[in-house]
Amino acid sequence: MPRRDAEYMEVDSDSDISIGDGTGRKGKGKEKAGDKRKKDKGKGKATEAAYTWEASYTRSWDTVQEDEAGSLQGAVEDWMARGRRRRLLAPAAPVRRTIIRHLVLLLDLSTSMLDRDMRPTRFDLTLQYAREFIVEWFDQNPLGQIGVVGMRAGIGERIGEMSGNPQDVLKAIADRHKLEPVGEPSLQNSIELARSSMNHLPTHSSREILIIFGSLTTCDPGNIHDTLDACVTNKIRISVVALAAEMKICRELCDKTAGQFGVAMNEGHFKDLLFELIPPPAQKALSRAAGAGATNPAADLMMMGFPTRLPDASPPSLCVCHSELRSEGFLCPRCLAKVCDVPTDCDVCDLMIVSSPHLARSYHHLFPVKPYTAVMSIADASVSIGCHGCARVFPTVALTGASEGLSPVGRYRCPECLGEFCSDCDVFVHDVTHVCPGCGK
Amino acid sequence: MPSLHLSAPVEQKNSPHSLLPFLQSQSQQTLNKLYSRPSSCLSIFRLLAPLQQQIIMNLLWLESTISSSTMAAWVVREEKKNYDAALSPLFRLHILATSPIKLALSATFKTSMRQALTGGGTTGSFGVPAPKDDKYPPMGIDELDGYALERWETILHYMVSSGTGQNSMRPSKDVLFLLQQSGLMANSQGSLQITSAGFQFLLHSPHAQLWDLLLQYLRLAEERNMDLVEVLSFLFMLSTMELGREYSTEGMNSTPQVAATHKAMLNDLRDYGLLWQRKPSSRRFYPTRLATTLTSSSPPLPTSTGPSSGPKEGFIVLETNYRIYAYTDNPLQTAVLNLFVALKYRFPNLVVGSITRDSVKKALSNGISAEQIISYLIAHAHPQMRKNNPLLPVTVQDQIRLWELEKNRLKSQEGYLYTAFTSPADYELVLNYARQLEVVLWENAAKRCFFGSLDGHANIKNFIERRTGGNA
Amino acid sequence: MDDISQASHLSVVVDLSPMHWDLSAREAPENTYPLSLASFLSQLLAFLNTHIACRHENTLAVFGAFPGKSIMLYSSSDPVSPSAEMHANAYPPFQAVDSAVVQRITAELDALELRDDEEEAPSALVGALAKALCYVNRITLPPSANSKAQANGFHPGVLPDPRILILSVSPDLATSYIPIMNSIFSAQKLKATIDVCQIYGPNTVFLQQAAHLTGGSYILLERRDALLQYLIMSFLPPPSIRRTLSVPTQEQVDFRAACFCHKNIVDIGFVCSVCLSIFCQPLAVCTTCRTKFPIKTLQRLNAARPLLATATATGNANGRPRVQSGAVLGANGGVGGAVANGAR
Repeated sequence: MPRRDAEYMEVDSDSDISIGDGTGRKGKGKEKAGDKRKKDKGKGKATEAAYTWEASYTRSWDTVQEDEAGSLQGAVEDWMARGRRRRLLAPAAPVRRTIIRHLVLLLDLSTSMLDRDMRPTRFDLTLQYAREFIVEWFDQNPLGQIGVVGMRAGIGERIGEMSGNPQDVLKAIADRHKLEPVGEPSLQNSIELARSSMNHLPTHSSREILIIFGSLTTCDPGNIHDTLDACVTNKIRISVVALAAEMKICRELCDKTAGQFGVAMNEGHFKDLLFELIPPPAQKALSRAAGAGATNPAADLMMMGFPTRLPDASPPSLCVCHSELRSEGFLCPRCLAKVCDVPTDCDVCDLMIVSSPHLARSYHHLFPVKPYTAVMSIADASVSIGCHGCARVFPTVALTGASEGLSPVGRYRCPECLGEFCSDCDVFVHDVTHVCPGCGK
Repeated sequence: MPSLHLSAPVEQKNSPHSLLPFLQSQSQQTLNKLYSRPSSCLSIFRLLAPLQQQIIMNLLWLESTISSSTMAAWVVREEKKNYDAALSPLFRLHILATSPIKLALSATFKTSMRQALTGGGTTGSFGVPAPKDDKYPPMGIDELDGYALERWETILHYMVSSGTGQNSMRPSKDVLFLLQQSGLMANSQGSLQITSAGFQFLLHSPHAQLWDLLLQYLRLAEERNMDLVEVLSFLFMLSTMELGREYSTEGMNSTPQVAATHKAMLNDLRDYGLLWQRKPSSRRFYPTRLATTLTSSSPPLPTSTGPSSGPKEGFIVLETNYRIYAYTDNPLQTAVLNLFVALKYRFPNLVVGSITRDSVKKALSNGISAEQIISYLIAHAHPQMRKNNPLLPVTVQDQIRLWELEKNRLKSQEGYLYTAFTSPADYELVLNYARQLEVVLWENAAKRCFFGSLDGHANIKNFIERRTGGNA
Repeated sequence: MDDISQASHLSVVVDLSPMHWDLSAREAPENTYPLSLASFLSQLLAFLNTHIACRHENTLAVFGAFPGKSIMLYSSSDPVSPSAEMHANAYPPFQAVDSAVVQRITAELDALELRDDEEEAPSALVGALAKALCYVNRITLPPSANSKAQANGFHPGVLPDPRILILSVSPDLATSYIPIMNSIFSAQKLKATIDVCQIYGPNTVFLQQAAHLTGGSYILLERRDALLQYLIMSFLPPPSIRRTLSVPTQEQVDFRAACFCHKNIVDIGFVCSVCLSIFCQPLAVCTTCRTKFPIKTLQRLNAARPLLATATATGNANGRPRVQSGAVLGANGGVGGAVANGAR
């Protein structure tokens, strides 16, 4: 296949360039990532069949390509390379991220959700992904809160109150029979509902709305652009994941409020789009002129209580949140009321109660591990024979034809401690531990 | 002598290792002599259950005894039963000194185990490495695996093919004798034929097979006037040796009698494939994987790494329509499958067959049980099958069990028929007595007769005699 | 029948800070039970051997945390060096562990002495812990195609309960709080248990949390002459055995946080919304991320603070005290208030 070869050549050649200059890299990388995706999706016939409704059956074998020896290694590496590049694209400078988040999940419950272009139906798939999303979201944003609003039959319907407890939120969408899709959706009504529930929030926390939208219409009582303006003034960030097609108003909602907009091409892409919204968003940059010392209206000092944990064997007493007799629990340090679970707001004195591990869970967003650079040749490699993390022995011969961003010698170097790591550890360190084993930070 | 291979389904969790009952039946002197070798202590320690290991370890470094109640204080209340169950075998193995209120390890075991862990002493029980041999290149692990596999499969293959009339390579005379002694094969019309016990043996995991044979070997050793302690400790020494290293036979035998035992064992174990020697008279040997994994559970056997064998893990795919696809080119595995599968096609790397009523019936009549077939299929299921839950199609499992039940419609039981009672009263009297003993299998009041089981006969006979004697 | 699933993995992280071991080895009156590095090592080796002895398939990795540097001392997947001197009185795997661990420790310590820094760097416990996690991650991953080389002799397979044992002699290091917490969370994700034995010095709050959050056991060694017995009874049994023979756990773990400014343990703290730094008093500027906080908030919080102090002191008796506005405004004026707050 001469055409394919030529494409590879092209990728190889400009990978050399992009290693050298750091500034031109970002835009270029993005463009290439797009290229790549197209190429992966559509070898040959499958090019046009990227949308699920166009494919008559799932061609899972098209997404992976065997190499000459019949191994899937190449395909897997390609996939990993994409992950690496995405990480490299992330700005290296420390960003301010909103740690205390408030999110309203807006679920489309109109009849269009019953379409079967995503299996089993858009509705079932949405519920399933929403559950996974909530679990993962709370894992990464332990201090955040989520509320759920549904749009059906032309009105916005409150399904779950704003809550910091993943179990509460999951319970709200657990019963699919209560959420059976009916009628037309109304964007305006439900956004207004969501907006009103976030009105009272302090300025330092983020206000976000995530809309999962399957319909191509919306039936609104008034001018939705007024609602949009209100959201902008209230600093509410709206993100939309559309399941059908792009709508002008949806795009506008996202653009004006600095949210993200995406149309899901298939089940996998739907999940990708959704999960991209999990990491805390970077805060809008301050104007340079004001300087770093300027008062940031979004920053604030918060009062938090660190509770005393009651041992399991302590005498049972009533908790303030459920009025149930329990022996285990946490004591609010200010009013000594007993709550069942943290983090929460004390029901009596309204103090925010967290335990220190909850705060610590968010720290890795603030102090990320610097991305490792790929070692491009044997000559460049250090003398160490094994991975600095897991001690796996590095290959001694360079792999030919490794794709861009991947090291042909399987080594990735930490810019701080200059330790070299294998690709598995590279992924593990950046995605899970957030601690470089070499520098220990 | 209860034959061990009759007893267990292949993978039964938490049942003790088959060697342990044998050891428990030995005298305290024998065991103590055995415990004087660190390698034996270590190997026996490995065969114990994890809880027992932990108990031993807790006691190992204590200089004084500890009262049983102190130790029991660590036990979670709900698990008390398991803890007690774990203790009693340790007493019977004489690892724990018998005392009702104090817990302490036997002195010999304690010393040797400490030596094993810290590497002290001069017992030389972990095998004397041979000095580097300049004449020959060292044996590679692959060669050793190949050798062990070939030996072992020769034995199994001989067993499988004995019933079919095919000619296959005969193992050595000693091996045949052992197979015959253990009841796995029997002499009929001048040639050895596999017995039903042998068929069951074939479906066991290689690890269980090996221990079955070695247990027989141990029993035989007593009859051959070999020193049991020497035989056992030689086996244990083998199990702690390192694969791919050459060991010397010198330096570990002190008396001529011991030397003779070792010589005989080297010959025997070479036949089974547990060790390799360049020539029978050589004074150095290599242990094979069969030997070094004796006290472990994985990697199961050289079968899994041998050059000629099939894929590493399972190779069998079973479908709901009773079809079986076995990805193997191994004649032994094919032959074993042939025991209960009607084979249809053969390809270079694939055998296709189906489980039919006739094929299963044939297996059942050979003495193989339905559970054994099922557990064999489970143990060798293809990785692809492991995604299913349950692993085997339920229909097939049930059907195999049903076919077994068909066979069990008649159950025979020996006993005595009591008839010709003179009066209904007599009949009732004797019958009631028999009922109290719970030996009545069948009764018919109209014909005034009943059938009692064998073990009740003596009592009933006495009873009737006493009755008639009293009347007379 | 042996049960394959019972094979377990143990990663041991050993704190080898020469300074603290030196302190630990001093005779009475400083220590009731002195423990030197040499005697510690011999007991550690016996413990390691015991772990391997329990099951042929048990795997082991040992990591050393030296001042400013962490290295892997031994792992079961290491190729056995064929040149190793064998003798008939020891089990070969034990010999391999013992010689590898002792050799590498000696080499590192010698190198340290040569360097002769005036001040000893704190030991790289975090790095060693992170390496242990990487290693656990590596062996719990299904063997991928590019790791064919290690298939011989070492079968990663599925290890049901990886454990990490930390043997520490150093006190908590404030700078390592975040990486340790990150490591704890990744251990949770790997379903690995972290056991901790603090051999010398005071309790370490960080490691206590590590053991608590991962369901492990934490021991502050008191009778240090009985180290081996402690190790065997509390850290040898895998989780399946711990259900039968209980191991010591902590009755109470302190989950209160220490403030970043004075390292005071606080009940109620003030947290920067940008970087989540914790302070024991309201500050005008966050010392970590240089964010300026609005004046209004400071006033409000300062107003609330005396309320706190009195509330805790008098048991919340007097309803709503008067607002003492501007009492301790600003960043540096609040020391007196901090004392009152820390009195609890």
